[in-house]
Amino acid sequence: MIAMSTRHILLGLLATGPSHGYDLKRRHDERFPQARPLAYGQVYTTLQRLVRDGLAAVEGTDSDGGPERTTYRATDEGTRELSRWAGEIAPPAPFVANEIFAKVVVAILSGGDPAAYLSAQRAAHMERMRELTAVKAAKGADLATVLSADYALNHLDADLRWMSTTAARLTTLTAEVDAA
Amino acid sequence: MNSLRSDLRLAWELTRGSDRREWWRVALTATGAALATGFALAAVALAALRGSYSVPVAAGLLDEPGTRSGVIVGLLLLLVPVLGFLGQCARIGAVHRDRRLAGLRLAGATPWQVRRIAALETGLACLLGSAAATALSVLVLLREWDRPTALAWVGIALVAVAVPVLGAVAGALALRRVVASPLGWVRRVRPHDGRGPGLLFLAGVLLVAVLALVTVATTSTAASNRPNGGPPLMMMGVVLVVGAGAVWLSGATAKATGRILAPRARSAATLIAAERLRDDPWSAARTHAAVLLVTLVGTGFMSIRQVLSDVVHSKRYLAENASYYTTGLDLTGAAVAVAFAITLSGLAVGTAESLATRRRGLAAQAAAGVPHPVLGRALLLETALPLAPAVLLSGLGGTTIGAWYALLNDRPVPWAIALVPVAAYAACLLAAATSLPLLRRSVRPGELRYA
Amino acid sequence: MSRPVPLLSASGLTKTHGRTPALRGASVDLHAGEILAVTGASGSGKSTLLHCLAGIVRPDGGSVSYDGRRLEDLPEKRLSELRRTEFGVVFQFGQLIPELTALDNVALPLLLAGTDRARARVRAGEWLERFGVRGQEDLRPGEMSGGQAQRTALARALVTGPKVVFADEPTGALDSLAGEQVMTALLHTVRESGTAVLLITHDAQVAAYADREIQLRDGAVAPLGVTA
Repeated sequence: MIAMSTRHILLGLLATGPSHGYDLKRRHDERFPQARPLAYGQVYTTLQRLVRDGLAAVEGTDSDGGPERTTYRATDEGTRELSRWAGEIAPPAPFVANEIFAKVVVAILSGGDPAAYLSAQRAAHMERMRELTAVKAAKGADLATVLSADYALNHLDADLRWMSTTAARLTTLTAEVDAA
Repeated sequence: MNSLRSDLRLAWELTRGSDRREWWRVALTATGAALATGFALAAVALAALRGSYSVPVAAGLLDEPGTRSGVIVGLLLLLVPVLGFLGQCARIGAVHRDRRLAGLRLAGATPWQVRRIAALETGLACLLGSAAATALSVLVLLREWDRPTALAWVGIALVAVAVPVLGAVAGALALRRVVASPLGWVRRVRPHDGRGPGLLFLAGVLLVAVLALVTVATTSTAASNRPNGGPPLMMMGVVLVVGAGAVWLSGATAKATGRILAPRARSAATLIAAERLRDDPWSAARTHAAVLLVTLVGTGFMSIRQVLSDVVHSKRYLAENASYYTTGLDLTGAAVAVAFAITLSGLAVGTAESLATRRRGLAAQAAAGVPHPVLGRALLLETALPLAPAVLLSGLGGTTIGAWYALLNDRPVPWAIALVPVAAYAACLLAAATSLPLLRRSVRPGELRYA
Repeated sequence: MSRPVPLLSASGLTKTHGRTPALRGASVDLHAGEILAVTGASGSGKSTLLHCLAGIVRPDGGSVSYDGRRLEDLPEKRLSELRRTEFGVVFQFGQLIPELTALDNVALPLLLAGTDRARARVRAGEWLERFGVRGQEDLRPGEMSGGQAQRTALARALVTGPKVVFADEPTGALDSLAGEQVMTALLHTVRESGTAVLLITHDAQVAAYADREIQLRDGAVAPLGVTA
């Protein structure tokens, strides 16, 4: 999920007002519960790049009695860049090859057991889907949580369907791969 | 002609490829058509006679135009329960057939093609029955009558052709909404408001009434100066008025029964039966109307029979010997019995059909643990509940006719006739109960597997 | 992981429809309060397995035991009573009586159990509310949306407080949002009441509501992938 632009997400979080690095990380993890949590170091370097490119600026520093913290804000150019990105269409189906497919083909080439691999992969997928469903169906789950879980569930489900049809057609695939 | 042939082949293929219920429909429709043809042929053959003859059957009742016209009217009236029976048969597999024909529409058949195919399906079944009945009747006729007149032959030919044609027309008419909206019909599962077939039935009743009137007017001219001509005509008028109201009445009673009982039902069976009546009161209206009519006529007849045979046996100065009168009475009695038997068959067919249509739902109920006896009780209550007020009413009507006739002849009113409606009611319940063994067979888990 | 004695257990079930074998030695355990998903391709015998486990169909071979009783030893009358009192069933559609209102449909199992009508209707109303079918008590199945009808069917299956609910593709005729609402309602209710669920589905997203999954293949339980 890191393919998703961290720059733009931080810019988006800054759109609500000036904020410092630790606060941005906390808000990111709250807002996108199913995504991989941001490392603080990554937030820090991304903010510095935004300042370098003129999309964000340092607002000031405060200490609140603790360690000194730098507060950042989005510049006008940053706001423009954000709205450009938000309206931009994400390229559909960016990858044609994926890891699961690659492993199946490799298993066939190396004389392994692709069916057993697919079956185990399927079980792992189902396990993850059960976890996500439990998060989503928990009482009092907010809509953002439900929707982000749904997003992941639908992708896992798509993988599963692909695995089922592939498992049913392994014989043909093996013949094809071996012939080539 | 070519398109007719391809339609005919399609109709045949569709019938052949369909399930057993369709064959039941064909067989029962053919039977109904055969009965109708038989009665109509007998009436036509008798109507072809002019003046006095010596007919070797029925103790001389057929010799004179006056009494002969009475027999003809009786035969024509027998067509009423037959029409009710045919209407019930048309419902067998109706949902299934409507879907199939709507499917034909979706596949690109024109409305006319669909109508023609449907008409051919029904018409062929009727043709089968009519041909069989005609062949049999002609054989009997040739044995009894040395040289039938040309008029008789024309009449016979007309009836033999008219029955399948009328059947085909009725089949096409019943489809008008399927043809109009193929999509709606494919999706809707429970289509009937029951008025359409009810109207068809009424039209049939009217047709029979008009025919009967014409027959009386043309064949009994010699007897029209008799003082007794009035009461039978008037009685027939009463019967017809009640008949026209019967369909509406039985539908309305079913609706009212459901509406009154549904909120008060204490048991599951009563609740299910009452709600079904409230939801679709017209489904059984035609058969129940026939029950109503037959009960009315039967009760009235029993009284008249009692009074008349009393008169015949007490008076010693009769115009004819006693067997002349008793044969007349017996013939009428037989006609009423036949009518009742046909009506009961219609009732049994109707119950079986209602069961077959709902077999998936019933299977689901049974799977959920609803005991078979509860389902059976609900099925019987569906017949028993709306029929009770209807039979009561027609019993009262018949008793009134009977009492009126007895008073007219200065005889004691034979109150025992009040038992006739009770017996009729019991017989109806028995007829409905004949489909209970079907319930056990319908409620199979296999039904749960398909949509 | 060792578990207590299963509530419902089947071993070596075989069943043939005509000449087509539907089950060839399927064995399943369902524990109290557990949600078990049964998945598999069309024709793999899922529905037949459910019918055998719920005592709707008698298997040709093998054995089903529920709570210490062997179903094959029970006469049809007792089986029917068991289905009415201890089990609840939900199918893809068609299990509601079309002529009865939602409220009366849910009240029906209570009426059959001898509860009086007024009390049955009150309890039915409470269950409809739990499944979010409010203000629709007087609608008939034909007037409801598919999702409402299925939630009504669930309320009907649960109103008698069964130990096991058998659900055969309960969301099969629904769009994904309505399906999600039905599944969430089912999940919350059975978790509260500790009802076990045997859930038949071909949809992995529905199967993910279960605690555990078994896959049927050609009428028998397929070994699940050894976790890598």
